[in-house]
Amino acid sequence: MLETLNQPPAAASPALVEVVKVTKIYPPDVVALKNVSLSAAKGELVFLTGPSGAGKTTLLKLLCRQEIPTKGLIEIDGNDLNNLSDNDIQKLRQRIGVAYQDFKLLPRLSVFQNIAMPMEVQFKSPGEIRSRVTELLEKLGIREKQHKPAGKLSRGEQQRVAIARAAASSPLLLLADEPTGNLDAATTGLVMALFQELNDNGSTIIIATHDESIYQGSNHRKFELKQGELF
Amino acid sequence: MRFALFIFTQTLRNIRHSWGVQLMTLLTVILSVLIFSFFYLIYSNMLQAGEKFGEELRLTVYLQASLSPAQQQEFTEKVAAFGKVDRISFITPEQAFQRLARQLGNDSDVLADLNPAFLPFSAEIYPHKDIRNLTRIKEFAEYLKNLPGAQKVQYGQAWVERFGHFVKLLRFIVIISGTLLILTTMFMVSNTLRLTLFARQDELKVLRYLGATNSYIKGPVLIEGFALGLFGAGLGLAALFFLFQWIRNHFSSAGFLQLFELRFLPMTNSAIILLGSIMLCTLGSLLSIRRLLKK
Ligand SMILES: Nc1ncnc2c1ncn2[C@@H]1O[C@H](COP(=O)(O)OP(=O)(O)OP(=O)(O)O)[C@@H](O)[C@H]1O
Ligand SMILES: [Mg+2]
Repeated sequence: MLETLNQPPAAASPALVEVVKVTKIYPPDVVALKNVSLSAAKGELVFLTGPSGAGKTTLLKLLCRQEIPTKGLIEIDGNDLNNLSDNDIQKLRQRIGVAYQDFKLLPRLSVFQNIAMPMEVQFKSPGEIRSRVTELLEKLGIREKQHKPAGKLSRGEQQRVAIARAAASSPLLLLADEPTGNLDAATTGLVMALFQELNDNGSTIIIATHDESIYQGSNHRKFELKQGELF
Repeated sequence: MRFALFIFTQTLRNIRHSWGVQLMTLLTVILSVLIFSFFYLIYSNMLQAGEKFGEELRLTVYLQASLSPAQQQEFTEKVAAFGKVDRISFITPEQAFQRLARQLGNDSDVLADLNPAFLPFSAEIYPHKDIRNLTRIKEFAEYLKNLPGAQKVQYGQAWVERFGHFVKLLRFIVIISGTLLILTTMFMVSNTLRLTLFARQDELKVLRYLGATNSYIKGPVLIEGFALGLFGAGLGLAALFFLFQWIRNHFSSAGFLQLFELRFLPMTNSAIILLGSIMLCTLGSLLSIRRLLKK
């Protein structure tokens, strides 16, 4: 393990995520991010930590173009997000899986349908969708809930559905916002194992969390935000 | 193919999601098509009947005295001077008498003591198509009345005139109901679909976060519009057909309807109504989604 804190693991592997001097101000004057620069290499797993209100969610929203930076540059896989057409943004979003802090599930659709959505959007075959969704349900221990409406699940179960949906299409980049906030230690283990597996298969993963237990002792890099600034 | 399958299942999902409003819209489209095509059906039958009456239209000129063959020739030339005529036949009082007897049938004995001479000599004129419209016929009748020897001209004036007005009124109703059809289908469809899209706002938002392209979102809505147009017009025309059959079976003995043969809309006209309805509904769905995707 040659990795040292806040240093990209191998200079040779190109950055997948490049954030350069980004500032985000919510109107009128909430400064959520101040001059933040960071990068994540292709295939890397990094943690984004910091107290509540530090700007973690904001940074992830900028990465999937849910919000637009007030200042600064963001590149994903070589694409400058400021210069992408609407259609290109959608194409890029297909390769980014996001487990939102507030889940953004469709409460009336079943667990299965929720997880299948990103693959449907990409016109994957029904067989492929079925086997992938079943696999994820299995791995996260919610197989028997698959036909229930997502809205009828407990917070912890909904969280796992959100994670499964983000992981469904084996994305190039996976953004997980507080993925273990509602989970016990055992389920946290399941989720982290899934992330590790995706990472081993080449996905770049950014996990925003203030759950020390999941990053303590790991040798992945971590970025710490405090009041919108990187430390 | 896979694209088509997805769009299709997505469409079914949407319809299941808001089937109540969709059904209402479908009923509106059906009703609009039914109303319009019903009047159009009557109109086209009337036009057809009018043509048939036109073919049988003749003007009878009652003359003061019998005409010799030479005079008949002269008369024919004078008539032809006004306009083209298909045929002129001269009816002697004897021929008229026989015809009357035939028409009376069993009651013909009332004529037994009468002399055919009480009936006038007459000329029956079948005008050419060119002068078969109302104003020309009127002018023609006026012209005939002023010919030397002419006593009286008859052609069922009141009837022809009333029929002309009726056809005009029908044309007006067809235009009104056609406009109504266009407006209701366009607005109903675009508004319903907008409502259902509005109800699906959360879903659409999530779909966009997951990278759904415009065509993924638009496709099902366009298909919904298309299907509304297709089934709306199809069911509307089917309803009209059954209504038509029912009317024909129940009123075929009524004298007025016996005059001419009732005919359903020709294939081409039905096809045009169907295509028009599909076009309008698809256009409506396009309108609904254009505003939504602009945001
Ligand atoms: N849409 C918004 N409009 C205005 N201010 C916002 C908006 N979203 C976030 N903020 C503010 O920006 C700051 C950063 O918020 P953010 O959600 O990024 O924090 P966070 O690190 O994710 O916190 P938590 O750990 O509680 O999720 C906070 O002060 C928050 O109030
Ligand atoms: Mg947050």
